[in-house]
Amino acid sequence: MTDVRDYLREWAMPHVLCPGCAHGTILRAFLEAVKRLELDPDKLAMVAGIGCSSRLIGYVDFCTLHATHGRAPAFATGLKLARPDMTVAVVTGDGDGLAIGGNHLIHAARRNVDLTVLLLNNSIYGMTGGQAAPTSPAGSVASTAPAGTAEAPFDACKLLEGAGASFVARVMAVDPIMSTNVMVEALSHRGFSFVEVISDCPEYFGRYNALGSGAEMLAWMARKEAGVAAALANKRYVNHVPTASDTSGLATGVFHREERPVFTGLSTQAAR
Amino acid sequence: MAEPVRSLLLAGVGGQGVVLASMIVAETLLRAGYDVKQSEVHGMAQRGGSVFSHIRFGPAVESPLVPEGTAEVLAAFEWAEALRWLQYVRPGGAVVADVRRVVPPGACSDRRAWLSSYPVIDATVLREREVKAHLIDATALAADLGNVRAANSVVLGALAAYLDVGRDYWESTIADLVPRGTAEVNLAAFRSGAEAPAALIDLPAPETGTGFVPARIEVNESWCKVCDICSRVCPEYCLDLDGDTRLVVVAPDACTGCRLCEMLCPDFAITIHHEGQVPALATTGAGP
Repeated sequence: MTDVRDYLREWAMPHVLCPGCAHGTILRAFLEAVKRLELDPDKLAMVAGIGCSSRLIGYVDFCTLHATHGRAPAFATGLKLARPDMTVAVVTGDGDGLAIGGNHLIHAARRNVDLTVLLLNNSIYGMTGGQAAPTSPAGSVASTAPAGTAEAPFDACKLLEGAGASFVARVMAVDPIMSTNVMVEALSHRGFSFVEVISDCPEYFGRYNALGSGAEMLAWMARKEAGVAAALANKRYVNHVPTASDTSGLATGVFHREERPVFTGLSTQAAR
Repeated sequence: MAEPVRSLLLAGVGGQGVVLASMIVAETLLRAGYDVKQSEVHGMAQRGGSVFSHIRFGPAVESPLVPEGTAEVLAAFEWAEALRWLQYVRPGGAVVADVRRVVPPGACSDRRAWLSSYPVIDATVLREREVKAHLIDATALAADLGNVRAANSVVLGALAAYLDVGRDYWESTIADLVPRGTAEVNLAAFRSGAEAPAALIDLPAPETGTGFVPARIEVNESWCKVCDICSRVCPEYCLDLDGDTRLVVVAPDACTGCRLCEMLCPDFAITIHHEGQVPALATTGAGP
């Protein structure tokens, strides 16, 4: 294996994602992690639901399971219980994972199923037309919030840590080296590993909020501005509602790691 | 006529522990009964800058500064720093040097050229100056012991071999001065440096040529969506858009092979080909 492209279903490429969408960059970082761990493509299953991020699994030449909206963690749990020899990774988005499938995600975390979940957070529903998502920063414009959303967003990492995930991390698409390093840790962790990856959506989130092209959105991501909130704060026409995260910046790294019994179905097995 | 004052020089790069090593040498010599004066430059090299320390010892020392051409031993923690201070070593003196490379930020301003501007690791430079050359891969030795930051203790061990000061003085000083919890690894590092053969390590053949490995950018235009990410992130401005319809490699010769564009391309459309072995720099080892 010399090139991560060897993991792709080349006949399916180029992928459908919009120009400047960093989801592909994140997929590449994940494939680098798979390459580094020398995982057997036949023993690696990727499970996804519906959404832009979930489309990614259509392009990888592993075992892939395209599930119903939000239910990827449930399908993945079943797969892992039936085939404990397989490495099971879920790719989900902020809408798929935190809204439609929010309960499936937190309960898989609570059970500490041995899964790796990548949650690609682009702050909006991209595939369905730019509706406000549970991660849209307060004040940001969406097709369902033309005057700016009035709701406060989720902090996915805090949510998952609270739900019982035994590995919780956040990385940014703009830092592919760190992303790969953290994904290697997550895939190696025994138990429920959750990695939130900050992505961009130039087509909807960027356009509605005048944040520029994908390249420009990655540039503010590289500056680690307080998520999009800081970028939004400079936009006078956005009805900006300050939140606690505005001043704290967007932290990245591994936030939580513990060894605890892993759910195997009939009984819980002591953690390694 | 009293014994003459003897001189030592320590040189390295910010972050390597030159100042601590210098304090250890000075304290060891004090404990061994010498008068010692030490002077150092510090603070200007938070990380990556040149750091050096002069040490003079004897029955009575008036000035801490080492005149050119008088140092008995130069202990260098980095190869280019060894060369920088070479003229301070007296004929017949010794140079103890870690063959680690740390490329100075200034040399990186032209990233295509820095590999060629960094001095080649070639012991003949030392032989020509009639000094004893003692090159060690201290960083690798320290890494083997479990903590690369103990590389300075390895160099100290090698330095100690040139000074007639009892091992006990060295080891007690190291144990007292290194950060708490690291005494064990630093003492092990010191011993491995002292026991490393006082001869040249196996050096690669003197490097020739520029050392630069050309890189070639390949764009798969059928996958590229002209999103502009690669052209914005390229530090060398190799890529640009032709209108909004096509990505063009405008400066293929400027590519340093950093792979930033390849890693950030969401569409797997860029491949960087290295036309040869990529040098492992700023890591351990002497090899290019």
